Formats: sequence, C-alpha cells, structure tokens
Amino acid sequence: MSTHDTSRPQGKSPISQVLAPIRTRLIAAAMLAGIGMILTMVPLAGMAHIAKILVSDPGTTWELSTTSMREIGWVVAASVVSLFVGMGCMFLGELVAHLADNQLTYQLRLAVMRRLSQAPLGWFTSRASGDVKQAMQDDIATLHSLTAHFYTAVGRVLGALLISVLYLVALDWKIALVTLLPLPGFFLFLRRLMQASKTNMGEFIAQLERMNNAINEFVCGIPVVKAFGTTGKAYRGYQAAVDSFAQAFEQFTRPLVASMAHVHAMVTTATILGLTLTFGIFSVAVGWSEPVDLVPFILVAPGICAPLLLLHTLLHDLGSAVGAAQRVMALLETPVLSSIPADERQLPNDHEVRFENVSYVYDNAQNGLSNLNFTLPPGSVTAVVGPSGAGKSTLARLMLRFFDPTQGRITLGGVDLRHMEMSTLYQRIGFVLQDVRLIHASIGDNIALGRPSASQQEIEDAARAANIHERIAALPHGYRSMVGEDIQLSGGEQQRISIARAMLLDPPLLVLDEATAAVDASNELAIQQALSRLTQGRTLVIISHHLNSIMHADHILVLDGGKVAEQGDHDQLLARKGLYARLWALEEMTNSLQSKVAAC
Amino acid sequence: MLTQLLGDDTVLLRRYLGLAIVYGVLSGLTILALVPLLSYLLIGQLSVATAWLVALLFGILVCWGVRWYLEQAGVRVGVAILQSGRHRLGEHVAHLPVGWFTAANTARLSHASTQGMMAVAQLPAHVFTPVISGLVTPIVLLAALLVLHPPLGLAALVALPLLLAVLSLTTKLARHADRAFQQHFAATSQRMVEFASAQAVLRAFSGNHHSTRFLEQAMQQQQRSGTRLACLSALSALLNAWAVQVVFAVLLIVTTLWINTLLEGALTVSSIISVIIALVLVSRFVEPLLDVAQHSDILRSAKGQLEEIQAIFDAAPLAEPTAPQPPRDASIELRAVRFRYAPHEPDVLNGVSLSITPGSMTALIGESGSGKTTLARLVARFFDADHGSVLVGGVDVRAMSSTQLANQVSQIFQESYLFAGSIADNIRFGCPDASDAELLEAARLAGVIEIVERLPQGLDTPVGEAGTRLSGGERQRIAIARALIKNAPILLVDEATAALDAENQAIITQALARLRGQRTLLVIAHQLSTVSMADQIIVLDEGRVIEQGAPDELLAQQGRYATFLGQRQTAKGWRITPDKTRETAQ
Repeated sequence: MSTHDTSRPQGKSPISQVLAPIRTRLIAAAMLAGIGMILTMVPLAGMAHIAKILVSDPGTTWELSTTSMREIGWVVAASVVSLFVGMGCMFLGELVAHLADNQLTYQLRLAVMRRLSQAPLGWFTSRASGDVKQAMQDDIATLHSLTAHFYTAVGRVLGALLISVLYLVALDWKIALVTLLPLPGFFLFLRRLMQASKTNMGEFIAQLERMNNAINEFVCGIPVVKAFGTTGKAYRGYQAAVDSFAQAFEQFTRPLVASMAHVHAMVTTATILGLTLTFGIFSVAVGWSEPVDLVPFILVAPGICAPLLLLHTLLHDLGSAVGAAQRVMALLETPVLSSIPADERQLPNDHEVRFENVSYVYDNAQNGLSNLNFTLPPGSVTAVVGPSGAGKSTLARLMLRFFDPTQGRITLGGVDLRHMEMSTLYQRIGFVLQDVRLIHASIGDNIALGRPSASQQEIEDAARAANIHERIAALPHGYRSMVGEDIQLSGGEQQRISIARAMLLDPPLLVLDEATAAVDASNELAIQQALSRLTQGRTLVIISHHLNSIMHADHILVLDGGKVAEQGDHDQLLARKGLYARLWALEEMTNSLQSKVAAC
Repeated sequence: MLTQLLGDDTVLLRRYLGLAIVYGVLSGLTILALVPLLSYLLIGQLSVATAWLVALLFGILVCWGVRWYLEQAGVRVGVAILQSGRHRLGEHVAHLPVGWFTAANTARLSHASTQGMMAVAQLPAHVFTPVISGLVTPIVLLAALLVLHPPLGLAALVALPLLLAVLSLTTKLARHADRAFQQHFAATSQRMVEFASAQAVLRAFSGNHHSTRFLEQAMQQQQRSGTRLACLSALSALLNAWAVQVVFAVLLIVTTLWINTLLEGALTVSSIISVIIALVLVSRFVEPLLDVAQHSDILRSAKGQLEEIQAIFDAAPLAEPTAPQPPRDASIELRAVRFRYAPHEPDVLNGVSLSITPGSMTALIGESGSGKTTLARLVARFFDADHGSVLVGGVDVRAMSSTQLANQVSQIFQESYLFAGSIADNIRFGCPDASDAELLEAARLAGVIEIVERLPQGLDTPVGEAGTRLSGGERQRIAIARALIKNAPILLVDEATAALDAENQAIITQALARLRGQRTLLVIAHQLSTVSMADQIIVLDEGRVIEQGAPDELLAQQGRYATFLGQRQTAKGWRITPDKTRETAQ
C-alpha cells in the first residue's frame, strides 16, 4: 500500500501523478478537516475545565462563587460554538475533497476519451466494450475513496493527535505518555495487517478474477446452457467456482481477523481509559498528581479513537485505488496514431486515392495485406472482391485510417493520410459499412452524426433520398424519436438511416461495404434504391460479396490472401479464367438454381 | 432480505447479531465501571477505586475477547453470503426463462452477483459492528444517566429517538440526488460501451470532432449530478453530526443548569462528583452516536445493493412440471396463442394457430415486427404464452421438463455466447459424446473448417472474448456448428439474425438443404433460396397468420407471398452501378 506517497508529493508514483491537478485542494481539505477535528475536541477540554473549577473553587465549600459560575457559562458557550464551527470546518473539508474528486474524475474521463479517440481502431477491436467502460468509468470511480476520503481522514487523525498530545503532555507528561501507549501498538498491528493482506492479496485478487469470470460465464451462458439442456452441469461449475472462492476468501481473511480484532480492541475507549486510570491511580497514590487531574485524560484521550478507526477502514480501500491509478495512467499512455504538428499539416489537392506499396500486418499475423499498389481516379467506381479473409475489410479500414499501414503509404490528393488532420480526411471520405451502428440518440441526431449543424430540411432531404423519410415522419415523435426507446428499427431500416447519414455528409469519396445481411424483401429494394442515389457522382470503393451487383464497375480488384490476385474490368477478368472467373461461375450456378425454383 | 439470501445460514447472522449486541452491552458496562471508580478516586478512597479499576480492566479483557469472536462471526456471515447466498442466486437465475436474459438484465445480474455480493458480504465486519455497538453502548449509558441524574437521563432518552428520526430524514435528503447520480452514472456507462463498440462509426463521422459529443454530454451531466450529490450528502452528513452535537450541547446545558440548582441548595462533594461523572458519561454517550451518524452514507448504498439483489430474486422462474411428459414426435403445434412482452404493451402474437408435421420444412415470412421471432422463441420456451398453448411433439411445452424440451429442439438464432475454451470444446458443447468424425462433420457443415485452416492451433484455438481475432460472423458459425452437432429432431433458425454476412447466409442455406426431410425445420426466412426449399409457407402480419400453405398454392393466390417473391426477384437483378455501355448504346 502506498501511504508513503502522501509524504512524497514530488515522487513519480501513479497516485501523485493522477492527483497532481487537485493537490492544493486536497491539502486545503485535509487542513480544514484537521482544524475542524481540533475544534470539536475543545468541548472535551472544556468539560475537564468545568470539573476543575467545581473541585477547586476558591469560594466556600457550600456555594460556587459567581466568578466561577460565569466562567463555567463562558466555557460552555465556547465549547458549543467551537463544536459547531469545528463540525462545519470538517464537513467543509469533506465537501472540498468531494468536489475536487468529482472534478478530477471528470477531467480524467475526458482525457482518456480524447486519448482513446486517437488510438488505432485495433485497440478497440481487441478489447471487449465492457472492459473499455470498466477502465473509463469504474476504475476512475475507485479513486473516490482515495481523493474524497483518505486525505481528510489523515487530516482528522493528525489534528486529533496533535491537539490531544499537546494538551495532555502540557497537563502531565507522564500520564500522557502512558495514555498514548496503544498508538504504537495500533500502528504496529495495522502494519502487520497491511503486510499480511499485501502478501496474500495477489493470490486473492487472482481468485476473485477467476470467480468473477466463472460467474460472468455462467450468467452470460445461461440462455445457451438452457437451450442445450445442460443447466445442471453448468450450475455445478458455477457452484465449484463459488465454493473455491469462498474458501480462498476465508483463508485470506482468517489470519487478518485476529489482527483486526486487536487493532479494534486496542483503540477503544475502554482500553485507553483502563491504561490511563491504572497509571493515574498509581500516580495519585505516590502523590504525583491530584485525583481531579485525571479527569481531563478520561475525557480527552478516548477522542483519538474514532479518527484512527476511520483511517483503518480507509486504508482497506487504498490498495484498490492505487491499482486503479496505475491502470488510469497506463490508459492515458495508450499508443496513438502518429500525428504531425499543426503547421505541417497539408490539404489534399484533389480526390485521387493512391495505395503505394501498402502492407499491413495484424499482431497475430492474420488477414493482413502485402504490397498493394493501385490508384482510384476521381469519379471512378472500384470494386474489391475475393474470398473471406482475403483482406477486403482491412483495405477499407486503412483508407479510413482506422489504423496506419505497417509499410508504404496511402495518399489522398497527393497527401499522405498521416500528414492531414483527421477531420480533413473524414470530410472527404464517407462510409457505409455492413455493420450498421446507430447510437442512442434521436433519429435526427443519428442522421446528423457527422454534421450536427445540418438544418432540419437537410436532414429530411437526406432521409428522403435514403428512402426512410416516410417511415420516420409516420412516428409520433418524428425525427425526435429516440432509437431503441420510442422505436425499434429493423436491420433494413437501420441500414437506410446509415445511408442517410452518409448522404448528409456528402463526401466526394465513398467506401461501401456492401450490406448483405438478410433483410426482408421490401427493405432490400428500398436499400438498393437508396444506395444507387448515394453513389451517384462519387468516387466509389465497393467491398462486394455479390459479383453480380458490381459487374459494371470501372475496375475490379480481386484479393486473395492479402495480395492483389487479379485486376481489370469484368470482361478482362472473365477472359483470364482465373479466380474471378471461378467465383463468377459459382455465383451463376446458385442463381440459376434459385430462379428455377422461384419460377415454378 | 439478508435472511432470504442466507436461507439456512440465517442462524449465523443471528449469532453474529447477538454477539454484536452483547459486545455493545459489555462495552457500555465496562465504561460504567468508571462511575464508582471516579467517585471513590475523587473522594480519595484509593483502595476501593483500585478494586473498581481491576473490574474495569477485567471488563476490557472480556470485551477484547468478545470482539475477537465477533470479528470471526462477522467473517463467517460474510463467507456464508459469498457461498450459500451466491448458490441461492445461481439456482434462482438458472430457473428463470431464457427471455429474462436481456442485455440489461444480464448486466445487472453479473454486477449484483460479483461486486454487489462482495459489498454485501463485507457489511457485517465493516459496517454492522460499529453501527450496532454504537447504538447499544449509549443505551446502557443512558440507563446509568437516568439513575444518576433523572433530568439529564430524560433529556438523553428523549434525544435518542429524535436523533434517529433526524438521521433517517437527512438520509432522504441525499437519496434523491443519489438516485439521480446513479442514473447518470449508468447512462454514462452505456455511452462508454457505445463509444467502444461504435468507435468505427463515431470516428468516420467525426469531421469536426462532433461525434464524441454524446459521451461528453453524458460525462458532463454525470459531473453535475456528482457535484449535487457531493453537496447534498456533505450537508446531510453535517446535519447528522450537528444533530448529535445539539444533543451534546443540550446535555451540557442541562448539566450547567444542574450546577445552577446546586448553587441554591447544598453543594456537597458528592454532588460535585456526580456532576463530573455525568460530564464523562455524556461525552461517552455522544461519541458512538457520532460514529453511527458517519456510517449513514455506507448504509444507504448497502441498501441499494441489497435492493438490486432483491429485484433479481423477485423475477418469476419458469414452472417445472411435477410429472413431466416426454414429447411423442417432432411436430410443432400452436393453438390460439396470444403473447405480449409486458402487461401494458400490445399483443405481439394475436391468436396464432398453426401445425407443423414431423420432418417438414416451414418458412416463416412477414414484415419486421410481425411476430416471427417471438413465435420461434415461444417454441423454444423463452417465455410462456399468455393464452393458448404451444405443443412440441404433441405435448404442451409446460408439461415437459426443460431438459426434455432442450433435447427435442435445437436453435440457430442470433450470435450466441461462446464459452472460454477451444473451438472444438464449444462445438462439442452441443453433444459432449460426439466422435471426432461427427465434430469434423459439424465443423465442415457450419463453415468452421475455413476458419480453423487459417489458425495455427486449428480446432484447438481458444475462443476468448479478447482472445483470438474471430469476427462476429465467425463466432456465429461456431454457434451454428454447436447447434448442428446436437442432432435434435427439431431445428429453429432465424435467418435475419443468424446470417451476419454473405458466407454465413450460404452456410445456413446449405445446412437447411442437407437437413431437409430429416428434421422438422422452422425457419424465419429472408432469402429466396430458403423459401424455395420449404414445404409450407406461413405469412405473419401483425401477430396473425394471414397466409398458410404450400408455396405453389400461395403463389396462385396472388397474395402477400406472391408480392414477396416479386420483390426478391427485382432485388436480385440490381446493379450498384448501371451498365455504362448499355446506357450509351441506348
């Protein structure tokens, strides 16, 4: 655990790096909490003072002098005031810390989002979305116990210790010494506790993760398990995981329980009072002190218990906060797509796209591309075909700069994609991928995703061209209908919205991953009409699965195993009698088979 | 709630709670030893004081020991929650209908059974112990105050319930803000999942960095409600503490007044001493209460976690028959079935009756939203019909055990979950006893062979979520192989959700062609190739069967089916680019 980090603010530990922006506020919060703590302990001393006045009143034994009475009144008033002001200070400190925490977590999330937006897309595809959310949301939220609670707790402990040590030592240093005896013991056991949990923590966390995975697998797999009638077996697996974790939990906690009990028992009121009184009575017996001198000790000394216990509870959570801080720092150092200084950025001269010796290798050496060379002249239609896994989608993604080529370069209008602003690129290249994604927003916002400034008229025009306007207009909330809430859109309707989206962006270049997922018949016709309108007058790259639909393209690239196997137009490729010709023959055969059946 | 979670282990909880109360009482009694101790000490009777000191020290030792047992008992309750509580939860959800497992419910369940359970398990040791002893100890002291000085004791007695009332009021103060914050937190979490899963789209449409604005707005909103929550919960904590302090101040003032009355009457040493002792007791009375007040935040969030778990326990499980009947053949029959997803929603199926003979192939067609998917789900008993009955093999699905139904029906729906393990393990999941030849056959039929040819480890390649780079379509093919190897007499297929890409479409078509005649096939069909194979076509519209019969008969009727065929034929001839040569020629 890294309690030492607090004493080493200049260090490079992840905690101090993460907390740097709010350090001043945290220190202020800790000081407020400390001062507040001191003030709230004033009444205890006040009560001791009253006791002293009562016992040693200089008036007659039978009545208190009016001066004493007035003094008691003052002491009570001062006690009450400092009590309330002290509490106010303490909670002001809490508030400052909480607000600082809230500010920090917001800034961190924003920073992580900006960083990840520049990472290669592969960073996202190699991770589960839930993990990304976990890192951005839950890990950062874990910092809460550190930022919002730990520093104010330290402030309280220091305040309580400072004031009680000063006060008690000033009264009688000998008794004070004995009274504070449990403190070293407390810290000793606490240290042992932390160390014991630290040594077993790794194993415990591993067990925890194993069981969480088993639970998640059980929970996510239930529909499958039930479909296969193997519920019993899967449930037994879950039971085993739960049991073995419960055992690990017990093993992890058992050695800690004794230390924990000692820690708790050592700093209770009774223990501290017992010690104080044992020595106090001895001290009275040998004549070092008067009985009434013990009263302040009885009142004030137990006051240090509460903040110490609070500190102990918080130290418990600190380990996870440190781990979270490490992960957040790592996330903020995610490798990003290379970018060049703003003044060196260039604007493309025209809309010609050129692949020059482009190779791309995935981390696991699958589905890569090697040494591609071709040009897409403005206004041309190029189709990319080939068997599954040939690298068709990789090619499209490189053009969209979802990642950069491992070798070679791709230029747009003579400028390397890496030498232009991202927004410059995305204003010129639009895309419609088969994997349609609508976001949780109104239909209007979904269409205007790339151009939020578009007018309602422009949005409707785009929807009309995409054959979806009538469907939207018929909804009770029209374009304001929330996707997934007010309206469940079918796959075909979603595709038409994504076409409207590209239509509104109006890019000179378009990458089209031909939508092939099964949609019902009327939808398919509507989509086809919409696509025909969208592609008019643009430079077009089509990733196609139906050779039939791209046979009139200006240029056809046939990919196989990441290389260009053949290229040319339809007639040229058929004449070659190569891969394209084989694929064409296969498709002809299935088509004729189907039309035969349909005709009967 | 905790007792429902613990079941038979509730006895552990009771034992723990009993011990916590005993600990609180003992702590209070130990502190009470101060009363005689201080009295004798202040009047100088050291020997009697020393005797009481011994009693005090003895009390401390007893408390120490009880505390040790208490910690043990707390851990035991925690372990029981982690073990039998999780068992109970697991057993409960294993009997919920498949339809319950929506994305949202699955996410809630997985949170509740991991982090949620963990948080609840830590409650006894970390929260209940200080709260219980913090409430019991002052009550013991209160009794002493009542005896020592009735007005002071009465003031304290009145204060205690008032204090609890204030605590519950201030908890309400922040509850609203807490709920709002949780909502915004969940909304932002959803946006983050979207940010990750829709990154390709967001990026391509990020012309002016606009497409991250939804997430940015969500985070801003979360921050704003976080600020509100921080202010309100600081305020409620402050009010709590102040309420305790008011009690303290009142007790102090009552004590001062007591001293005042002493002024008028006879001031004896013993009365001075009892004032001093009262002061000590007052301070000991207040401090544990302050501790309790500071735990109110944690208690509030613990309550939230428990409510989450309770909500899952409240979901109704599917009833299992006491005397299950096995299906007699591979037929499917629906009799006047009505179904809706929620009580206030319209019927999705509106009196559907149909009959499918064993070994036949039926294509289900209709517009999106016509009820096709729901119909298939009812056959697989994702839900139970509201009215009418669903029969598989001549037996109502409610009258057979879930295993019997599962053995009778295999399904290829949307991309289904793959378990950690190899591709082969996942396929074999459909039929654990399958031979290697059968495994290969299923893999070949589902197009898994083409995937594994690219992989160095072949069929033994592990499929983890972030493991091998398998596309959605490829994962789906493994799920298809798993469904095929199962060899159940009835196969349900949803082409719309199962065919993620052209290759999968072809695989499904081939598989259907091969199984035709051997199994009962019910297919939600979108492709001409599928429809053309069917023995029977059923056209659904708005939850009703509007056409039903052999393809030729329906075509002759010139109804909805004929229109469908026409649209499909037009779509087939489509070219993304017009034939330029022909255009110029015309």
